[in-house]
Amino acid sequence: MALKIDHVTKKYQNFTAVNQLSFTIEKGEIFGLIGQNGAGKTTTFRMILDLQETTEGNISWNDIPINKVNRDVLGYLPEERGIFPSMTVEDQLYFFGVLRGRGKKDLKQDVDYWIERFELVDKRKAKAETLSKGNQQKVQLIASFIHQPEFLILDEPFSGLDPVNRELLMDAILYLKEKGTTILFSSHQMANVEELCDHLCILKRGVSLFTGSLKDLKEQYGKKKLSIRTDLTEKELHMLEGVKNVKKTRDGYTLTLEDETYGKQLFEQISRGQYMDKFSMDYLTLDEIFKDLVGGIVV
Amino acid sequence: MSKFWILVTQLYKQKIKTKSFILSILLYVAVISCVMFWSDIKAALFSEEPVKIAMVNETEQDFKPLFKSDKDMKFNFTDQSRAEVEKKVKNGKYDAAVFLTSKNKQMEAEIATFEPLEYNDQTALSGMIQYAGRIYAVQQLNLTSDQAAQILDANTTIISKNLDKQKGTGKSEDEKSAGIGVSILIGSIVYSFVISFLSMITTDVASEKGSRVLEVMLASIKPSTHFLAKITGTYLLALTQLIVLIVVQVALFLVVDGGSKWDKVTNTIDHLSSTYILYTIAYLLLSIFLFLIMGALFGSLVSKVEEASQAMMPAMLMGMAGFYILMSGLFSPDTMLVKVSSYIPFMTVMVMPLRISATDLSPMEPLIALIILIVTVIVLFYISFSFYKRSVLTYSSGGMMQKIKTVLKVTT
Repeated sequence: MALKIDHVTKKYQNFTAVNQLSFTIEKGEIFGLIGQNGAGKTTTFRMILDLQETTEGNISWNDIPINKVNRDVLGYLPEERGIFPSMTVEDQLYFFGVLRGRGKKDLKQDVDYWIERFELVDKRKAKAETLSKGNQQKVQLIASFIHQPEFLILDEPFSGLDPVNRELLMDAILYLKEKGTTILFSSHQMANVEELCDHLCILKRGVSLFTGSLKDLKEQYGKKKLSIRTDLTEKELHMLEGVKNVKKTRDGYTLTLEDETYGKQLFEQISRGQYMDKFSMDYLTLDEIFKDLVGGIVV
Repeated sequence: MSKFWILVTQLYKQKIKTKSFILSILLYVAVISCVMFWSDIKAALFSEEPVKIAMVNETEQDFKPLFKSDKDMKFNFTDQSRAEVEKKVKNGKYDAAVFLTSKNKQMEAEIATFEPLEYNDQTALSGMIQYAGRIYAVQQLNLTSDQAAQILDANTTIISKNLDKQKGTGKSEDEKSAGIGVSILIGSIVYSFVISFLSMITTDVASEKGSRVLEVMLASIKPSTHFLAKITGTYLLALTQLIVLIVVQVALFLVVDGGSKWDKVTNTIDHLSSTYILYTIAYLLLSIFLFLIMGALFGSLVSKVEEASQAMMPAMLMGMAGFYILMSGLFSPDTMLVKVSSYIPFMTVMVMPLRISATDLSPMEPLIALIILIVTVIVLFYISFSFYKRSVLTYSSGGMMQKIKTVLKVTT
């Protein structure tokens, strides 16, 4: 494994920001760390980056304690964007590249490549403060990996981006993965996490509620989502055994079941032996699982 | 190149090209030049007519030799009546009229104007009238001209002798006045200099912290490296500005008016002791460092750049207090306030040079102030160094005390 978080706790006097957190990330994997605001994600990132010490537990990179790791193997994109406002796009990328150990000549090819790939060619000599928010985000994302880190932490990389730029960033992250970069990534947009992450950890108030693969999480929850088209009313559906929640949709209802084993029984009760043009049982989306798990919201 | 020097170079290159940095050098040059070349500037810009003064002498004494016309004042003795002269003053033919009369063997003078005279002219005219009045009074005693001259030209020679061998011989009046003059100039420059670089580093750190770019940088460098790089980079900028200022100013003195001003400068420097010059340089270099440490620390405490001015206020107030104490010390450099503040590290650079130049103090006193300054710089550096690591990534609202409390909660 590349990164190992082993029973890590971070306390600030009486407040515990992260409590006994453990997970591992394999080399070349994209790992999602998700949770509400204040769940302990940024604290975890800062401990991995050795910006804050752990109160208990250990963090290692390739079996080397994180405080002894050369910082140039790490890349970081913080949640709140940070670039030098009066520096040009190009200077910014060279500065961060050189700061993290690459030579200026060596950087040229990569700077040119990423500027072109992120459609910033005409903004190359523009000061960062004159760029749109989306373009500033692109610049900062490039700056976070221009030095070709082995391990990249992306804290909310998609916030505030339009769908086109989101797609551009998504492709870039997958490209980095192909190149062997290990990525730890957080997002409040669960669709992005579902699309990118192999494994994930869900945090609530510093405690891990789930750590494992997305597939395992979904299977653990089971096929609890039932989409149907029926003549029964919402009230009648609520009365059925095993139904936790009913939501009216554009072309029918979506029911959340207490357990997927109720599926067969419900099919018989709702269809009453008649033809039904829609009866589909699915896994919950990550968004729905997250709301249920973290927010206690019945989906 | 190490990460430390990459940061120093980036800061130096970025700031040295800014308009504010270049403008501040030009402003310093302009202010110093204005002070030094004021008489030339005044002569070039304002070709003033001399003040026309009508003299109506109603005494039996001849005052013409005492009121000689020059480029500033033109005296015209007249026999016209008081009413006629006052009319001419009203009409603007004269700027003022002086009526000299005698009463009980003393001279009385009345200055009549329609528009008040300028302060300098008023002072000069009053001085001349006072002198004429003394002569008049002496004349009434029926003394010989030699006796009168002896009284009027009497000048007591005062020699200062200090019996404390440690303090050596006292300074001459010339040395003291040169020292006071230089202390005002240096104190004023140091004040604005220190405050501007304090402001630069505080705003710079606050801006990087507020924009979160610091967080990105700290992923690859240690906070201590960043702290040192900020202080070193800004210190180098301060030295650059100082050197440029000196070079430009010396060049101006040498070139303008055939170097006559340079002669005055060297003449003033000759009156300054080497102790004064060496201590002033040492205080200046250490004080810039002291204020920069404070600036970096205060900048790291705030959450956004808008709070920077509030954060640096304590250090600014210390500098400001030093400046005002310097100003008060120009007239009485021996007060307890001046003595005490000359040992306070944030004020030493402004107050102690004044004491060295204008008073006969023991050689130990400037040395003690220097040692206090060095110890303060070292202690503050280590405290700030440790504090910076915790404060630089701590964001909190509230006042400065609240921010400090929050930082202290963070155990890194």
